[in-house]
Amino acid sequence: MGKHLHENICEEHIFSAIFNKYSKDLHNFLYYKFGELLNPKDKVQEAFIKLWENCSKISPEKAKSFLFTTANNLMLNEAAHQKVVLKHRQIKAKSYTNENPEFLMQEDEYMKKLQKALSNLSEAQRTAFLMNRVEGKRFKEIAELLNISTKAVEKRIYGALEKLRQEIKEL
Amino acid sequence: MMEREKLIKKWLDNDLNDQELKAFKKLEDYDDLVNLSNNLKGFKAEEFDASKELERVLRTIHSTKKQSFWMHPVFKIAAILAICFSLYYYTTTIDTAITTEFAQKTTIELPDNSSVSINSKSLLVFNKNSWKKVRDVELEGEAFFKVSKGSTFNVITKSGTITVYGTQFNVKQRDDYFEVICYEGIVGVTYNSQLTKLKAGESFLIIDGKLIVTEKENNTTPSWLNNESHFKSLPYREVLAEFERQYGVIIKAQNIDKTELFTGSFTHSNISTALKSITLPLHLKYSKTNNTITLIRE
Repeated sequence: MGKHLHENICEEHIFSAIFNKYSKDLHNFLYYKFGELLNPKDKVQEAFIKLWENCSKISPEKAKSFLFTTANNLMLNEAAHQKVVLKHRQIKAKSYTNENPEFLMQEDEYMKKLQKALSNLSEAQRTAFLMNRVEGKRFKEIAELLNISTKAVEKRIYGALEKLRQEIKEL
Repeated sequence: MMEREKLIKKWLDNDLNDQELKAFKKLEDYDDLVNLSNNLKGFKAEEFDASKELERVLRTIHSTKKQSFWMHPVFKIAAILAICFSLYYYTTTIDTAITTEFAQKTTIELPDNSSVSINSKSLLVFNKNSWKKVRDVELEGEAFFKVSKGSTFNVITKSGTITVYGTQFNVKQRDDYFEVICYEGIVGVTYNSQLTKLKAGESFLIIDGKLIVTEKENNTTPSWLNNESHFKSLPYREVLAEFERQYGVIIKAQNIDKTELFTGSFTHSNISTALKSITLPLHLKYSKTNNTITLIRE
């Protein structure tokens, strides 16, 4: 505890350590929530610059929530809200070696449906869900990043899964 | 049904034990779930290179650090004070400079009521603020001084310095020509760190570095103040140079001996008369086109 008193974000090595710890998660959080159009990388930069400017007022323990709140607000300030459509790349399942055109078409169709269903999720659902499914984060880790309970994370992720499957069936 | 939800949640949280995994695999929508999960990987966020991004943020911070240093209120005030002070300093120490062009003469008053008449194509520089301490003027060209009594008065020229205490004198410093004529009082001329004292009517003349002995001056003011230039046994080139300055013309005088001594004068108010005055005594002819005058030997 005594050590924390001397740890100051204004020291560059502390600042860098915080950057290395949170920047990627922050970026991914912004990306899954708002998509790529609003430049999540630039928002990460801005949020960390704001952290630096306020380095004497913020303790290292508060840095994470400051960063997530600041970056989130920067995104919200930027533009009127519109539906987020995430880009996707083709995932090649290694088990299929000779893919016939019909299968490829089905696959493509499926991805389109999935993309649409994802954009229909609430921001909170999509963010938690993709941090879990794509980034492989466990409920507890997500809960810590977002400052919510593990239960709430579980609810969001399971809710997102159910909603996705429902929509894909219907589309 | 409850069991299914629980299994799926545990699967999502990567928290299934062996037994639960077996049960999960038996769920009718197992393939569906795994397929969905695999396809979701295609929506992965753009690559984020943390070390590259950190470098970027540190670069910004380092450049704004300097900026914030200047934006600090204390520095803002300091900067304003510095600007005010230097402005004050600049305006109070700035020199006053008076220049005259071709065919232009002017008379000015110095801060102590001394007066200076400045002949054509000359420059006079002095400082109002230090005037009380040192009466120094810098001169390039020709000027006539009427100095009121007071502390030492210095006229600094490229050729030498003239020191006076309250008198009337003329200084002419042009290229290789340096002349001081004292009309009243005593004037000290320092030339090559040698002091020469001039009494009223005496003059000091250096041409091409050589001291020229001249006759006593009988006039009380230099002739140029009356819009005439007088020459007594002076090289012809000095006459031509003065003529050029007074009329703003260029004189071409090829094949003419410009070291020949000339005695005479020309007026500043009529160029034709003036031209005759300087050409007839030497039996020269002249032609004039625009601003160029060509002199030819008869």
